[in-house]
Amino acid sequence: MAEVLAPLAGKILAVLVEPGAKVEEDDELVVIEALKMENTVYAPSDGTVKEIKVKVGDSVEDEDLLIVLE
Amino acid sequence: MRPYFEKMPGFGKALKENRIARTQESRTKLEAIEAEIAVAKKAAEEVGIPAAKINERGGLTVYQRLEYLVDPGTWQPLHSLYNPADNEEGTTNVVDGLGKIGGRWAVIIGFDNKVLAGAWIAGQPDNILRVTNLAKRLHIPLVWLVNCSGVKLPDQEKFYADRRGSGAPFFRHAELEQAGIPVLAGIYGTNPAGGGYQAISPTILIAHKDANIAVGGVGIVSGMSPQGGFDLAGLEQLIANTRDMKNKPPGSASTHYDATGFFTRVCDEEKGVLDGIKEYMRMIPAYDPKFFRVAEPAEPTLPQSDLYHLLPFNQKSDYSFDDILARLVDGSEHMEFRPGYGPEVYTGLVKIDGMLVGAIGNRQGLLPKGYPEYADYPGIGGKLYRQGLIKMNEFVTLCARDRVPVMWFQDTTGIDVGDIAEKAELLGIGQSLVYSIQNADIPMMLVVLRKGSAAAHYIMGGPTANRQNAFTLGTAATEIYVMHGETAAVATYSRRAIKDKDSGKPLEPLAQKMNEMAQKYYDTSRPAYCARYGFVDEIVDLKALRGYLKAFAGAVYQNPKSICPRHQMLLPRVIKG
Repeated sequence: MAEVLAPLAGKILAVLVEPGAKVEEDDELVVIEALKMENTVYAPSDGTVKEIKVKVGDSVEDEDLLIVLE
Repeated sequence: MRPYFEKMPGFGKALKENRIARTQESRTKLEAIEAEIAVAKKAAEEVGIPAAKINERGGLTVYQRLEYLVDPGTWQPLHSLYNPADNEEGTTNVVDGLGKIGGRWAVIIGFDNKVLAGAWIAGQPDNILRVTNLAKRLHIPLVWLVNCSGVKLPDQEKFYADRRGSGAPFFRHAELEQAGIPVLAGIYGTNPAGGGYQAISPTILIAHKDANIAVGGVGIVSGMSPQGGFDLAGLEQLIANTRDMKNKPPGSASTHYDATGFFTRVCDEEKGVLDGIKEYMRMIPAYDPKFFRVAEPAEPTLPQSDLYHLLPFNQKSDYSFDDILARLVDGSEHMEFRPGYGPEVYTGLVKIDGMLVGAIGNRQGLLPKGYPEYADYPGIGGKLYRQGLIKMNEFVTLCARDRVPVMWFQDTTGIDVGDIAEKAELLGIGQSLVYSIQNADIPMMLVVLRKGSAAAHYIMGGPTANRQNAFTLGTAATEIYVMHGETAAVATYSRRAIKDKDSGKPLEPLAQKMNEMAQKYYDTSRPAYCARYGFVDEIVDLKALRGYLKAFAGAVYQNPKSICPRHQMLLPRVIKG
């Protein structure tokens, strides 16, 4: 089980995976708009997307839970 | 040093399917801009008299001469869209680039004989100075295809005089010759006055039989001695004089071969002149590339076509610079310098065509937590912080010590700002990088991958490093300005907004002004604009970038002014630890 956390505060611009999707390490998961840039959050390890905690337009704080991988 | 260089660590990751799918639209946009640039370049090539007409007269166009002269597959054009004075001709009337002749690299430039018989026009002196500077920086021959009718007389006030006016290239030719850099000239057609000096200032002059070079041409000689005005009798006399002079213009091939001996050779055929240049090029000192190769040349193991999915068209999207560099360098191998330090910047040694080159580039995206170490706010790629600036200073200095040329890759929004950044000495360390670059005295080139902005555009080996930067390339994603247009509008109008608000004025007109300013910034920072006004020396397709890197490395190592034995290099040892 791996928890993918927001690396910084910002707004969710895109969620690039769906529940049940198999992902590999470094696959793109989420894009957060912050500091005038669109910042990609990558999978920390191989796994399957168990749960997505955010949707497009959400505001997140630093270290908020974004996705759960198993 | 074989263990260091023969097989360096591999880097760069293969493209993932979801990235390819997600970036398809970006790829389409990049390719659309590349197609627009290609159309503009084609239009610049076709300006003037049609090639068929020149051929009917028994001559070749400058492009046909270049095609015959330059070794196949080596031509890397520069300044194709350069037209800083907005000439109606759409060009500066010279065509130039890097190419091999007889197996040796040269900077090559020729007058476009389809346009006003190769006249001097506005913006041209600056184009020529870029070219002479390039030959000097790379220490390789300059080859001229002279076919110059002299000043476009109705426009003379725009370029004849001034410190960087049309006479400056003659002094630059002398400067090159003093530095041991030969200037070879193939001479065609009528070259009076300015054209005469274009032809006489090079080192070796090879002329076509119908060429002439002179202090003054028919037009001047037959019309000297001003009478204070024109009348019919004067015009009749002028017509008679001109007819007479046209039969035997001053400075013909026979005059300058038989009488003065200025011409080394006179050729009956146009191609004979070019064969002569090839022959002289083969006499010029050049190392066999093997002398400096640290490994066998190899193509990148990761495909260059991936670049279209790695470099986002969207200026806000992040990406991996390391993945881009891995598509451009031999074997997709490198030796990274200080990988854990200054994470916003990549610095490392790579190989191009088997030769050692330093690479520096902005990384994008989020930086590790706690960086920059001097601030309580997060760091973001594209910006420069204290460690990154120090690292670039160190890397450039070590490259200079080891005589390793440097390729810069910019995608920068600038140096960190604010009082915390000031206390972290960023202003001073940024200027230290300027000092380090100027102190290096090694050839450098720059690719503005996407953004070139703020002072970072200067200090990261930008074209303002006149003596070090050999040339600067842009891509379909390039955008160059002092700051983003919206930021500039805020900086310009924020006080006015307060004033208008406090005095009860409607704010809509101000908003419109701010939008107009942002739009102007956008319009004047596009790739074609950057090429036209010389912010870059060429906009290059992503798939063609490596060709320029190979030309740069090959030219730098052809006949370098100074060398460092590879077993005495320090930088690879510092990297190894």
